[in-house]
Amino acid sequence: MEDTESETTINVGDFLVVQRQGYTKLHKLRKHGNMVLGSFTVEMDNIVGERYSDTFQMKNMPGSKRFYILEKVDEVNSAAGCVSIEKSGADNRHIPNNADSQGLTKEDIDKLKGEELSSNNIVEQLINNSKTFNMKTEYSQEKYIKKKEKKYFEYIQIRKPSIRLLSQMFYRQDPTKTLGIRTDDLSQILSYANIHSEGNHLLYDSGTSGLMTAAITNAVGPRTTGSLIHMHPGNECQKNGFVAMQFPQEQADRCINVNLYSVLRCFYQNKGDYSGKSETVSESDANVDADNGEPSAKRTKVEGGASQKKQWQLDNERACKLLEGKVDSLVVVSKEHPVSIVKELMQFLRGGRGFVVFNSLKEPLQDLYVYLKGRVDIVSIRLSSNFMRAYQVLPDRTHPEVNMNAGVTF
Amino acid sequence: MSFDGYKDKIEEGDTVILYLTITQVYCIKAEPKTLNKKGNLIENVFQTPYGALKCAELIGKYYGSKISLSKGWGYVLQPTPELWTITLPHRTQIIYTPDMSMIILQLELCPGSIVVESGTGSGSLSHGLIRAIKPHGHLYTFDFHKTRAETAQEEFKDHGLANYVTVTHRDVCENGFGDDLDNKANAVFLDLPHPWLAIPHSLKSLKQTGGRLCSFSPCIEQVQKSCLMLLKLGFQEIQTMEVLQTQYAVQQRSLPVVNLDFLKSEKDGTETEKKDREMIKTITAIPPPTQPGHTGYLTFATLPPIWARNLQISLNQDDINDAD
Repeated sequence: MEDTESETTINVGDFLVVQRQGYTKLHKLRKHGNMVLGSFTVEMDNIVGERYSDTFQMKNMPGSKRFYILEKVDEVNSAAGCVSIEKSGADNRHIPNNADSQGLTKEDIDKLKGEELSSNNIVEQLINNSKTFNMKTEYSQEKYIKKKEKKYFEYIQIRKPSIRLLSQMFYRQDPTKTLGIRTDDLSQILSYANIHSEGNHLLYDSGTSGLMTAAITNAVGPRTTGSLIHMHPGNECQKNGFVAMQFPQEQADRCINVNLYSVLRCFYQNKGDYSGKSETVSESDANVDADNGEPSAKRTKVEGGASQKKQWQLDNERACKLLEGKVDSLVVVSKEHPVSIVKELMQFLRGGRGFVVFNSLKEPLQDLYVYLKGRVDIVSIRLSSNFMRAYQVLPDRTHPEVNMNAGVTF
Repeated sequence: MSFDGYKDKIEEGDTVILYLTITQVYCIKAEPKTLNKKGNLIENVFQTPYGALKCAELIGKYYGSKISLSKGWGYVLQPTPELWTITLPHRTQIIYTPDMSMIILQLELCPGSIVVESGTGSGSLSHGLIRAIKPHGHLYTFDFHKTRAETAQEEFKDHGLANYVTVTHRDVCENGFGDDLDNKANAVFLDLPHPWLAIPHSLKSLKQTGGRLCSFSPCIEQVQKSCLMLLKLGFQEIQTMEVLQTQYAVQQRSLPVVNLDFLKSEKDGTETEKKDREMIKTITAIPPPTQPGHTGYLTFATLPPIWARNLQISLNQDDINDAD
């Protein structure tokens, strides 16, 4: 795993995670493309050729009010360090609770933003025009500055996507995007299903924005023997998360996306097709393996190309071939009721291997538990939920984050 | 030899998981002979609540198959890091699966990663880390307890994992991780009484292109000191969290229904005496009455690549000043 120059340089066509304070956004970098970030429209050209983890400042584009360009910076001036505070109150007993403590109007602020986007400047103006600021306590003054700074913060950092960043981003944007899978859920699914570089893994996923496929493919890793069969219910699977990871071709090829219905139809009805094929392939395997160690999956594709089959049919056949040899792990992440899906897919699981079923509701999983318990051939069934709490750690001010995630998933 | 790669049959010397019930899971070695306390070679027999098991009989059985005992039956399973975690011999406090999973995901590990771990402890996390990084990654693990380091080394060898791991006996707070590891690691994991002392050494071991760090501490005071050190050294995304898991008992309950309709009309003698009481069946999941409420705080941080480090240090300096 050598980090080559190309891996750390930002190129056109790359997927980036753009971070502005706590906010993150996935962006595909195009030539002369713009990105909308909250109320800002940013031209991204200047970051091409720079390196990941660099920080950029949003600067007003000359002659245009709403557009910003990016400039690489080596220093960030945070408002908290610059704004001088003259005096502070002891507590909040004199602070009136109304809307006219701020002297600046929205128009004034917009004008400031239009002239030069500088959070320090704007925050300073806001403070100078605030009637109550000097009455606030030191702590709440600092909180006020932080809050305002966040709103007008002009620096963004460009990050390389990783499963961690994607998972956190999707969940923050909208938990339904990943069917409610939080970072801790994701991590445990991978553990309990024993997903690693070896073996064939089977996933049924009815819409996690490609997060599950990305996470499993990532765990399978580059230049390894493992592979993933991804079954999805629609015509096209969700791929956001998967393409964002920009896996090398060889690794991405080992994630086979197939439609649940058509692959099972292929499995039951066209048995001759792919088994015949698998024979010929294994024959040629034996021949070619002696010459070079090209992975067999790739060859199936080449061979199939000659017989003029559509890509999805080839994928189905590849998947069926793997299914026939049985899989080493099964993960079911479904919107649908899990029992029928698990019942069907269970037959492909090799004996003594684990599987994980995730659902955001408890009741369907209770049904599943009863079903599994009823079958005598399954042991070690567990139903569990997770609880994750993040902490603010500052000297003398450590406490659980105020916003806690109370969502429970199983 | 049963941890590296999937296997179908049990071979001599394999570590095997014996599953009896959800709370009775054990690990045994498939060997005909074993040493007793006096150091004599005796027949390897494992006593279960359902009768004795001669371990030699396991050899050649399929993983996942059912075995009969004199008073019941059990299943033999191939170990995974999860099963190992619940059955391993404890030498220290260990890290359980919820924390372990989070650590692996948050450290952004994938096959090929180089990871540094200290301390090794009972090796629970080590097994999880090795699974995540093999076949071409490597784990460097350190423990300041000599026997523990040696036992762990033996165990990895026994489990067929020796190629993926290097065990070293060293106090990393004082002596660091060694020059060999300078700028090599993708991630560092610390589970130490004084993690903040090892953080500067970790910085040295992490790659120039940056990396992730995790510190596991049971006490919040340790977390505070570590976080300050991380800030000072220019780490970003410093985040502390706890992960807890609740396991439910799924049960079918029958609730009697109280029928009060008959009270509305006078008795006319047509009622059948002693009707069966109506019952409604319901399936429910019951959380346990007590469960572990705290394991440890997980603190994660990112070390930015070398070209972005100075910027982060100056940013963090502001935060530290604010706090004073």
